[in-house]
Amino acid sequence: MEKMLEMRIHGYGGQGVVTLAQLVASAGLNAGYETQSLPFFGVERRGSAVKAGVRIDKNKIRIRSQSVEPDYLVIMNETLLELAQNQGIAEDGGIIMNTAHPQDVGRTLYYVDAAGIAIENDLMAADSPFINIPMFGAVCKIAGLKAEVVSQTLTERWTGKIGEKNAKVALIGYEAVKKFEK
Amino acid sequence: MKTVIDTGCHAVALAARSAKVDVVAAYPITPQTSVVEEIATMVEDGTLDCRFLPVEGEHSAMAACAGASAAGARVFTATSSQGLLYMHEVLHMASGGRLPIVMANANRAVFAPWTIWADHNDSLAQRDTGWLQYYCASVQEVYNTVLQAFKVAEEIKLPVMVNFDGFILSHSMVPIRLPEQADIDAFLPEYEPTWRLDPQNPSSFGNVTMPPEYAEFRKTLARDILASIDLVKKAAENYKEYTGMWDGDVFEPYLIEDAEVVVLSMGSMASEVEISVDHLRKQGIKAGALRLRLYRPFPAEDLRKILPKNTTLITLDRNYSFGMEGGVLFNDCKAALYDKRNDVRVLNQTIGIGGLDLTWQAMAQAILALLEA
Repeated sequence: MEKMLEMRIHGYGGQGVVTLAQLVASAGLNAGYETQSLPFFGVERRGSAVKAGVRIDKNKIRIRSQSVEPDYLVIMNETLLELAQNQGIAEDGGIIMNTAHPQDVGRTLYYVDAAGIAIENDLMAADSPFINIPMFGAVCKIAGLKAEVVSQTLTERWTGKIGEKNAKVALIGYEAVKKFEK
Repeated sequence: MKTVIDTGCHAVALAARSAKVDVVAAYPITPQTSVVEEIATMVEDGTLDCRFLPVEGEHSAMAACAGASAAGARVFTATSSQGLLYMHEVLHMASGGRLPIVMANANRAVFAPWTIWADHNDSLAQRDTGWLQYYCASVQEVYNTVLQAFKVAEEIKLPVMVNFDGFILSHSMVPIRLPEQADIDAFLPEYEPTWRLDPQNPSSFGNVTMPPEYAEFRKTLARDILASIDLVKKAAENYKEYTGMWDGDVFEPYLIEDAEVVVLSMGSMASEVEISVDHLRKQGIKAGALRLRLYRPFPAEDLRKILPKNTTLITLDRNYSFGMEGGVLFNDCKAALYDKRNDVRVLNQTIGIGGLDLTWQAMAQAILALLEA
């Protein structure tokens, strides 16, 4: 990682945006980097738009402000794409999106059907899938982090069977993420 | 040394545990809530041997802290914004009573209108209560400073407030290096109070005094608060010897030796302003930064010594001093420099109120605008 890698994750309250940001920061630490996850809290309730920034760097991180021009936008739900882009992205920044139906977004797009993977593997909370776990795998892949780091981070965060299952599903996301070609 | 990844709030709780506090009395308030939750959890799961008092409000929290401290316990609490304001009356009691309580305050702007995001008006409104006030720029520093605060508090018998910006530090999750407990214990041995309230040996404390005694108590208090500057420096150096970690003592300077413009600020923004300084240097402006880590007592003598000759000092104030020109830092700096360092020109910008995002670009722009005005 030559320069700082910065991402901003956008989702709806309840989709695990803050947890995903924390997991990516933990993965960065496990890979030997300085990291920071910085959630932005507005009105905290299920269903409202939520965002969180993540920074990974080989040097000490001095930035304390919100992520304005990230290298990647991580989109948990397609309907947030426009809102997320309006809040800023680096000129050559890319998108990592949870979708089963990718379309041209006018810049580099990586996509993974995180919801589909979570449902298929029965990674469910009440009636909705834990999409942040397969997204975590996908984000780590694009960030250039190793698969071992993905497993290590999840089994450290959740012990026993939950950790193992999360690691398994995250690695499916890690392998499944693809670059969109027109 | 172990590294964990966690939030600023949890760093506060981890530091309280490392300090082996005896009593915590606290009331939850955004964005400090998870400090209280985490300490309650530690007490519940047995990893912190401490009496946790879930009181009904912040006024009671500080009153309980004062009582426990007077009984000889090592006491800790945490609050924010309205909670800190609600404590105000008892804060005077803690300092006048010479009670070495340590409190973490997650800086949050004050009502009205309603807000939950950071500025420094909550803690700066406690300026004249006789508490020492630290301001932190990183989550690691929050952890380190709580421990240093106990060291200073117990040596000089004064309460200490450790300020950290709400959300920006309280909710950001970063790697935290935790020193070995043996090193912490060596740095901060068990608290040995010189006196304590004891039901077996009743005595009264804080009684009514006649004017000469009262004036004498307050004079001693004023003298000792100023004298604690040296203890703050000693505690920072001592902490470094045991843990290898250093966040500055009363100041943290950045590229100021040859600086023609020095930017002074407090809290998390003071970390990012270093990047503004790098940027200004690339544009040919000899800029430097000075982070004020200890706000009270104000290190006036150190400021006069550390500033290079003929500097322009820019204070970036995350506060308002209503009814006075310029912010709190601006006025304190001017008072410290007046008549003794007339070669220093002081400029001021109020910035980042109510959690307005402070990017290094915005701060660089504000600095340039002041220089060009």
